[in-house]
Amino acid sequence: MKTTVILRRLLVYLCATVLVLWIVVPLALIVLFALSSMRDYYDIHKVLPTKFTLKHISELLFDLGAIYSIINSLLVALMTIALSFALGLPAGYALSRYIFPGRDSIKLLVLSMRMFPVMIIAVPLAVLYLRLGLSDTLLGVALAHTTMALPFTIIITSSIFGGVPVEYEEAAMIFGLSRFEAFLKITLPLAAPGLAAASIFTFVISWNEVFVASILTLTNRTLPADILVTVLNSPDPYKFAAGFIMALPSLIFIFIARKYLVTMWGITTR
Amino acid sequence: MVQRMPVSKKVLISIVVVVIIAIAAFLVYWFYLRPRPVKLIWASTQLCPAKERAFVEGTLLAQFKKDTGIEVKFVPLSYVEMTSRIEAEQKAKKVTVNVIGDLHGGLDLFASKGYLEDLTKFGALPARTFITTLEKYAKLYGIKAYVPWMTATYVMVVNKEAFDYLPAGLTEDDVIKGTEKWTYDALLEWAKNIYEKTGKRMLGFPVGPKGLWHRFLHGYIYPAYTGAQVLKFNSDEAVTMWEYMKKLWPYVNPASTTWDAMAEPLLKKEVLIAWDHTARIVSAIRERPGDFVVVPVPRGPKGRAFILVVAGLAIPKGAPNQKEAWKLIDFLTKPETQVKILEQVGFFPTTTEATGKIPAGPLKILAEGVTTQVGSPDAIVAMIPSLGPKGGEFVGLYREAFTRIVLKGEDIRTVIGEIGPKIDAIFKEVGAPLPLPDSEL
Amino acid sequence: MRESGQMKIKHYFFNLFPRKISSYTPYLLVAPALIYLFTFIGYPLVQAIVLAFQDPSTGSPSLINFETLVKDAYFWDALKYTFILALIIIPLQTLLALSVALFLNMRFKGANVVLYTFTIPLTISDVAAALIWYNMLTTSGFLNRLLLNLGVIKEPIYFFGYVYRHMELLAIIVTEIWRATAIVFVIVFAGLQLIGRDYLEAAEVCGASVLQRLRYIVLPLIKPSIQAALIIRTLFALQVYAVVWILAGRDIPILAGEAYYWMSELYNPHIAATYSLLIAFFSILIGWLYIKLLKPKYEEVLR
Repeated sequence: MKTTVILRRLLVYLCATVLVLWIVVPLALIVLFALSSMRDYYDIHKVLPTKFTLKHISELLFDLGAIYSIINSLLVALMTIALSFALGLPAGYALSRYIFPGRDSIKLLVLSMRMFPVMIIAVPLAVLYLRLGLSDTLLGVALAHTTMALPFTIIITSSIFGGVPVEYEEAAMIFGLSRFEAFLKITLPLAAPGLAAASIFTFVISWNEVFVASILTLTNRTLPADILVTVLNSPDPYKFAAGFIMALPSLIFIFIARKYLVTMWGITTR
Repeated sequence: MVQRMPVSKKVLISIVVVVIIAIAAFLVYWFYLRPRPVKLIWASTQLCPAKERAFVEGTLLAQFKKDTGIEVKFVPLSYVEMTSRIEAEQKAKKVTVNVIGDLHGGLDLFASKGYLEDLTKFGALPARTFITTLEKYAKLYGIKAYVPWMTATYVMVVNKEAFDYLPAGLTEDDVIKGTEKWTYDALLEWAKNIYEKTGKRMLGFPVGPKGLWHRFLHGYIYPAYTGAQVLKFNSDEAVTMWEYMKKLWPYVNPASTTWDAMAEPLLKKEVLIAWDHTARIVSAIRERPGDFVVVPVPRGPKGRAFILVVAGLAIPKGAPNQKEAWKLIDFLTKPETQVKILEQVGFFPTTTEATGKIPAGPLKILAEGVTTQVGSPDAIVAMIPSLGPKGGEFVGLYREAFTRIVLKGEDIRTVIGEIGPKIDAIFKEVGAPLPLPDSEL
Repeated sequence: MRESGQMKIKHYFFNLFPRKISSYTPYLLVAPALIYLFTFIGYPLVQAIVLAFQDPSTGSPSLINFETLVKDAYFWDALKYTFILALIIIPLQTLLALSVALFLNMRFKGANVVLYTFTIPLTISDVAAALIWYNMLTTSGFLNRLLLNLGVIKEPIYFFGYVYRHMELLAIIVTEIWRATAIVFVIVFAGLQLIGRDYLEAAEVCGASVLQRLRYIVLPLIKPSIQAALIIRTLFALQVYAVVWILAGRDIPILAGEAYYWMSELYNPHIAATYSLLIAFFSILIGWLYIKLLKPKYEEVLR
């Protein structure tokens, strides 16, 4: 009896370790190469570098001013989340709770806006934003990013709201809450995992987006717009330093949001 | 009974915290960190890598600010970002870019669409003489489209270790000085020797999608074998050339099709001999100057063909602050600035006052190699044709010929028979003049 | 007695929301999002689509771009490879994401660590992910250096080059699975959280095996999440080009890569728009298929 339990435990931890290693090894390499001295990186007799330097990262952040761009990117990402949620949550709710003619078509329509590779619509997009006076502003970039993230927010939230039992809202309404209050107090908290997923998505989409941000802003640039062209033409350690700098804030954001990905010990029903 | 979720309060608090942080960050940024308003915006596809950009911002533009008090924001853009932004600004009639720094090809494209100011209205720049060929090159679609700013070329870089495998009849001196013994056939023998002695294919070319391989095809090997870029596309000499390429390819590192630039493969010793644009190998020279020599390209039956790449500075049509923009162009093309540029980033001057000076410093090897190539007695200078919007298609056809003949193994005469007329059609359609060396034939 | 109480409540609800208002509500809720999208991306989208139907030389409407496309040798390869990659990668990723999500739901010690780790690739931009895998797999890269130094292999393993297209394909598949499984995982895992433990416990008490519980309770209830995840993942899969470009250049053409190549290297926005239209067409087709085939049987909708 006991051996099967131990074996099962072992298997579980083995799987867990393999999964973690599978993800972490390439990541560790990114960090190592970002911090590696040039000499060690190009030494073909060394499997891993042993001499490290912060030079690449500091050059990017301070000499080339990437640190301002980080703040720009952060502001844009947060604005994008706020906008996509403001527009997307009601739409997601409608698509999940109501059956109405055109429901599937609207879903498809919303998705179809996202089906064109963005580089192709970049010039007409930039012309529109230039005419609206939104060029070179963070708000403009946030508005553009929202158009890219909104379809996903709608799809994710509609699938999540669809999983929250409607009886809860109805029960709450019997107890005197309006539909909106029921939504806020009952549905939303229960849908927290889905909202966390949607916010992670939106943050990452906005944070990593480079082409539209590059064209819409020449000043007040976001991080990728500012440094990607530079590092892609520079030696490898710079590329990894940039990759590392770009990943760090996203890592922090996901660390905060992941708690809401898991509900506390499951939902009890009825 | 529905259980009250302990999550809801926490969610609310975290949302409030995030909002407060966002507002605080915004305020700090607005009052302390926001860069001051900028006077001039200089968008450029050149000098984008980290070291080059630091040089432009830290040395050149700092000096410019000291001299004139004008602040300039240097914005590095990729080629497609540049064309997209300039086109968008022109179409929206809201121009914010004051100066464009780009290659002749890009500026040609802009000029063909009427996106550039005619710079003759600013008069001549004082205290310098531009090389005549370059000034002529810059006259596009009836206007002076740009001021020639820097020149570059494509060279071969050799890791000194490769000299251990020289074939019979070829010496180190031959390669470095570019004598008549340094031919494409000799290159083939050399690469073959390396392969036979080490089992590795150590010759590399930038055949990746963003690599400049097409320049080798139309500006180097075609004129070297046929004497022209375009005129002899479909000829017996061309067939000889393609047969050579087919013989060469087994000794070229296959990963070449994934390389856009040769600096990294050289540094990682994935190749010992490479061909590429000077800007795309300069970081290898900088990092390990003792390991490499920059040598002229080999010669073909008709001569040693190479391309002179020209980068220019232009002003978009309808740009604001054009007088200040002209001051920036003045500063960047001063002979003293041009010598500094050569010293630090390896791009060559366009004024006669600045040519001939090989600066000391890490890029001396680069400067020497280029000077040897440009000054060789059997040199055939090729210039990239000015085909406006069709420039991309032109280049694509040479790539297609290469892929079909060398990679896919199709019959040479069939392929060049198909593609040749398409190339002629482009020139007819655009009405463009034949480039050097074709125009002299 | 309970019966009539329930009926009273239903009656109450029915009268609370007269037909007229409730039938407009969904439209009102969706309207802001739709208006926003039409304004800020709809019009540019239309302009870009028009490009596909314009003759590049004259600007007049024509189907010449489609002709050019069909005659281009790369087009048919691009079509082939796009679908080969999608058909291999997406099912593998979905399976992996589902397995890991179910695995983590067992809530063992340290599951939180695995959860966080597995979502990390989301933070890595596709360019960075492609670069690290490229560097790991080149002849002088981490993998080869490790294996050569350990003596496991004598010759480096070649992953890149036109003649090694099959290896490039492998590299692309591995990189994409490493990078993008998190996308599917995050959505599916979130959906998994909503399944009440009581359902599963009740089934267990009634004697259902693990597999039966999986098949009859878990899978049907996470159908909407799987649908959402698949739609999003497929959309991305048809549009991502950086990974393939960095790992295989144009040795493995794909539709999105060709669109970008025509746009950025050949300066022909018309053909680029034509390729994009094709991508959009396939995306809509597949999206529609997902919506129709993965319709959840039990939906929490308002009566």
